[in-house]
Amino acid sequence: MTGALRRLLREPLGALGLGLVLVIVASAVFADALAAYPPTQLDVRNRLSGPTAQHWFGTDHLGRDTFSRVVHGGRIALLVSLVSVGLSLAIGLVLGMIAGYGPRWLDNLLMLVFDAVRSFPTIMFALAVVTLFGPSLETVILIVVVTSIPVHGRIVRTQTLSLKAQEFILAERAMGAGPVRVLFHHVLPNVIGPVLILASMEVPVVIAIEAGLSFLGLGVRPPTPSWGSILNDGYGFIRDTPWLILAGGLPVVMTTLGFTFLGEALRDVFDPRLKRE
Amino acid sequence: MRTSRRKFMATTALGGALAAAAPREAARAQAKTLRVRSYVTLQQLDPLNRLGAPEGDVMDCLYPGLITTKGDGTWGWSLDAASAIEQVDTTHIKFELRKGMGWTGGFGEVTAEDVKYSYERIANPDNKSAYRGDWAALDKVEVTSSHTGVIVLKEPYIPLWTTTLPFNSGSIVCKAAVEKLDGKRFTLEPPATFGPYKIKQNVARQRMTMERNRDWPGPQPAFDEVEFLNILDANAAETAYQAGEIDLTLLPMTAVPRIQKAMPARSKLVVAPSLAYWWLGMQMEEGLFADKRVRQAVQLAVDVNAVLEGAFFGVAPRSTGFIAPGMTGHRAANKIAKPDLAAARKLLAEAGHPRGFKTEIGVRNSAEFVNAAQVVAASLAQIGIEAQVQPFDQGVQKAVASGKAGEWKKMALHIARFSMQPDPSWASVWFTREQIGEWNWERFPDAEYNELHAKGLKESDPQKRQAMYVRMQDIMEDSGAYVFLTHGVNPILHRDSFIPALTPDANKVLVPKFKLA
Repeated sequence: MTGALRRLLREPLGALGLGLVLVIVASAVFADALAAYPPTQLDVRNRLSGPTAQHWFGTDHLGRDTFSRVVHGGRIALLVSLVSVGLSLAIGLVLGMIAGYGPRWLDNLLMLVFDAVRSFPTIMFALAVVTLFGPSLETVILIVVVTSIPVHGRIVRTQTLSLKAQEFILAERAMGAGPVRVLFHHVLPNVIGPVLILASMEVPVVIAIEAGLSFLGLGVRPPTPSWGSILNDGYGFIRDTPWLILAGGLPVVMTTLGFTFLGEALRDVFDPRLKRE
Repeated sequence: MRTSRRKFMATTALGGALAAAAPREAARAQAKTLRVRSYVTLQQLDPLNRLGAPEGDVMDCLYPGLITTKGDGTWGWSLDAASAIEQVDTTHIKFELRKGMGWTGGFGEVTAEDVKYSYERIANPDNKSAYRGDWAALDKVEVTSSHTGVIVLKEPYIPLWTTTLPFNSGSIVCKAAVEKLDGKRFTLEPPATFGPYKIKQNVARQRMTMERNRDWPGPQPAFDEVEFLNILDANAAETAYQAGEIDLTLLPMTAVPRIQKAMPARSKLVVAPSLAYWWLGMQMEEGLFADKRVRQAVQLAVDVNAVLEGAFFGVAPRSTGFIAPGMTGHRAANKIAKPDLAAARKLLAEAGHPRGFKTEIGVRNSAEFVNAAQVVAASLAQIGIEAQVQPFDQGVQKAVASGKAGEWKKMALHIARFSMQPDPSWASVWFTREQIGEWNWERFPDAEYNELHAKGLKESDPQKRQAMYVRMQDIMEDSGAYVFLTHGVNPILHRDSFIPALTPDANKVLVPKFKLA
C-alpha cells in the first residue's frame, strides 16, 4: 500500500489530485470549525460585499458569509456524492454480477432495464423526478443512484462474464460451490478494484449533477447551502458582484479536477498492464 | 468597357458615401421599430384564456375594446372602438361602435354582434375562462343594430368601468372568424384582428412582430413596427437592453439600486408602485397551522421589514393589506406593526410547541420568492420553527396549494403574489369561500368576509366601500392566516427616445399610445 501511495505521489497530477481532494474533504469535515459564521445567518445591511478580513469570500445578497456557505456546501456535495456513489456501486455490483453470472434471460432483462435508464438524459430524468417528488437532498441522491447503477452494473457484468469462463471458477463450481459463494468469494474480489477506481471518477460527475440541479433550484432546498445554489445566487447578482460566482464555481472546479486526477492516477498505479509499460 | 482611374476613384468615393449613409438610414428605419421584452413566453392571444400581462399588452395592439385605459399615468379610460358609451342606469350600458372598422381576413366590419359574442363568451361558465369573474354580473348583451347595443347586467357591478371594460376582458374578437375554428378557440394565431397593429410574423417561443394597421380609425401609433421578444431571464434581458437589442424591459426589483447608481446611456427608469400584493399565508383548515395560536405566533415572529430589505433590497415599501395606497379600500396600517418574539414564543408554547417544529415554506421557483422565504425562515428560526424552503414551478404551486395535487401540507405555509387591477374586488374575490380549492390557498372560510365581498361589488358609495374593504382586511389579519408583505414595484427601463404609455402601476404597457420624445 505504501508502495502504491509512493507511486501515486510520484505522479504530479496524482499528487495534485490527492492534495485537492484532501483539502475539500478536510474543509467539509471541519466546516463547523472553519466557518466563522453559521451558513444561514443573515446580515442584509452588509449584502454583496467583496472579500474582507471578516468575510474572506465576501457576502451574498442576504448578507450571509460566502466562505461559511462554501465549506458547508462542500459537506452537502460530498455527502450526496459519497452516499450516491456508494449506493449505486453496491447495487450495480450485485446486479452486474447477477447479470453476468445468471441465466441468459435474466441478463437480457437487466440489460434492457439498464439501457432503458441510460436512454434518458440525466437532466431530463432529474426534472421528471423532481416534478414528482419535489426538490430535496434525498431526491438528488435518488436521481444519481438510479442513473449511476447501470454504469457500474454494465462494467461488473462484463468483468463477470470474462471471469465466469476462467478455470478457477470452473474448478470451484465443479467442487460444488453455489452461485452465492462463487460470486462473493471469487468474482467480487476480482472485479471490485477497477470498479472502485471508476467510482472515484464518478464522484466529480455526481458533484456536478448536484450543483447543476441546485443551480436550477431542483437540488437541496434553501436555505441549506450548496455550491449550485451559491452559483445560482451569483448568477442572479452577477452585475453587482463577481465574487459569488467565483466562490460557488471554484470548489466545483477544484473537486472535479481533484477527483479526476486522483482517479486517473489510481488507475495508472493499480492497472498491472500500465504498470508493465 | 474601359474604366479610367479617375472614374474608378469617383465610383469608389460615391460607393463609400452611400455605404456611410446606409447605417444612418438603417438607424432611422430602426427608430420606427420598437422592441419590447415579454418576460413570459407568449402562449395565448385569446382574451378568453390569456395568461400573463405581456399577452394583454400584445392584445391591446390587435383587438379593439369599447374603451381602453388612457396610458397617461392615471387609471382613467378613453373611447376605443366605441364612438359613444353611456351608463343608462345601474345595470344598463348603451354603446355605439365606430363605423368602418374591418376585421382582417375579410370577415367584415366590427359589429355589436362581435361585442355580444366576445363578452358572453368569457361569461359563459362552459368556456371555463379564468376571467369569467370579470363578467359574472353580465346578464346579456342586447344587439339593437349592427353598430349599437346594450350591456345588461344582472345586478350593479362597480368594477365594470375600472377593471373589466378597459382591460382585456373587454377586448372584442371576431365572432365569424372564431366560430369557424375547431373548438372555437385559438392560441397565438388569431383568425382575425383589428387594432392599431396587425400581426406581421410570429416565431413561436421567440418573438411576435406586428406592423402598423393603416386602417385603424383612432390615432396612428408612433412606431411602424413592434416586436415583442420572449426573454424570460432578467439578466439576459438586461444584457439585451445594454446591447441595444430591446428598447423596453421590466427589471427585477433588486436591480433598481444598481441601475439608479449607473443608469445606461440615453435611458430612463420608471419605478412604479405595483398594485399586486405579496403575502405570507398559512393554511388554517388542517395541520400545524389549524391552531390559531400557531398562526399568530408566526405573525408576531416575522420581521417584514427584514424580508423587504433582504428580498427586495428595500425598494418596495411594506403593505397593509391587499389594496395598494391610493385605491379604495386601502388600510392605513397593519394591526401587528413589528415583531414581538416573546409573545410569539408564549403563543407557540401555549399551542404545545415550546421548542418549535419543522415545516416548509412553499414558494414559486424564482429568486424573489426564494429570497423572501429565506428571510422568513430566519425570522421563524428565532422562535424555534425550522423552515425549509420548498420551491415549485408556478403551475405546480397552484396545484399543490389548491389541494388538487393532494399535497397541500407542502404549502401549509407559503409566500404568494397575486396580480391586481384597480378595483378592490379584484383582490377580495380570491379569499372567498367559493375559492377554497382554487385560489383561496389559506382555506380561509370567513362568513362575514364573504358577505362584505358580495356587498362591495354593488356598493357605489366610495366611503361605504372603503370601510367594507378595510374591515375585510382586518378580518384576514385577525384570522392569523395572513402576514401582508408588500405590493412591490414595477421597474421599467426604456430608451429616452420615446415616452412610454403605462398604467400607474406600469403593469400594462400600452404600445399603441407610445409617443416619440
